[in-house]
Amino acid sequence: MLGFFCTVNFKVKSYRYLFYLYAFRLTLSQNMVMKIKLKSLVVLFIAFGFAACGGIDVVESGTYSGTIKEIEAAKTEIYVSTEDGKTLELYFTDETSLTKDGQTVDFGMMEEGMAVEVEVVKEGKRLDPISVKIME
Amino acid sequence: MGEIPDFWRPEIYHPLSVHLPIGLLLAATAFKFISLFKSASVWKQGGSVLLFMGVVGAWISVYTGDVADGIVSRELCDPIVLKNHENASIAMAWIFTVTVVLEMINTFLRKYGLKLAVVVSMLVGSGFLVYTGHLGATLVYQQAAGVYVPSNDCSEFE
Repeated sequence: MLGFFCTVNFKVKSYRYLFYLYAFRLTLSQNMVMKIKLKSLVVLFIAFGFAACGGIDVVESGTYSGTIKEIEAAKTEIYVSTEDGKTLELYFTDETSLTKDGQTVDFGMMEEGMAVEVEVVKEGKRLDPISVKIME
Repeated sequence: MGEIPDFWRPEIYHPLSVHLPIGLLLAATAFKFISLFKSASVWKQGGSVLLFMGVVGAWISVYTGDVADGIVSRELCDPIVLKNHENASIAMAWIFTVTVVLEMINTFLRKYGLKLAVVVSMLVGSGFLVYTGHLGATLVYQQAAGVYVPSNDCSEFE
């Protein structure tokens, strides 16, 4: 008897969920505008996904040439695009030397797009800049 | 002998500010999801309030995280985890911000499809939120980001 009631109750619940699903499908099929909105939402999520994956690269210790992609002056940090298409994130330390034509210059002298030559040391996956030379 | 650093360091404000919005946004998502099946206004209205408060908290957390980033990045062994944490957090904050806009639009339109879109958006946002939190925990428990590590003999505490 209990089994019978459970079965009936399960069937009623199943029909109710099927109804919800049908109502949901009907709502979507009747409203093309909403379909477009949902598609836009999916595209937006994919865009956010790609944005969340945008990253930086790790290279071996050595000297690399490239251009300054971005500067974050408040953090004394620069992003350098190397000639082989990698992006290096470099946080200046007390030991980092910044020069132009052999002369030490201030961090504020750097501008995005400038050609630079950087010498980095790899510590774990962190790149510590030893020297940054402004080439122009 | 080393000195115990001051507790109120700039990087401390990030862990202090992140946990409340995590709770608010996950609770908001649960409330809004339940509101699809339950008609009681507490789920819908409660979810909206939690969502709004959570988004404000999320952007405050992004700001405090940016402040902490400039300090801890120089000490991490794998800053790529931090970069992924940062990117995921910004994506998450924008998803919930877009959700707030959708929610406000639906206050006037009252469309079931838009209500569903809000819930879907919040579920995706919650996915990013959990991933962001996971990366944040990885930074702390694997790389001691922003954490003072006492000396072996604990002499600075004597």
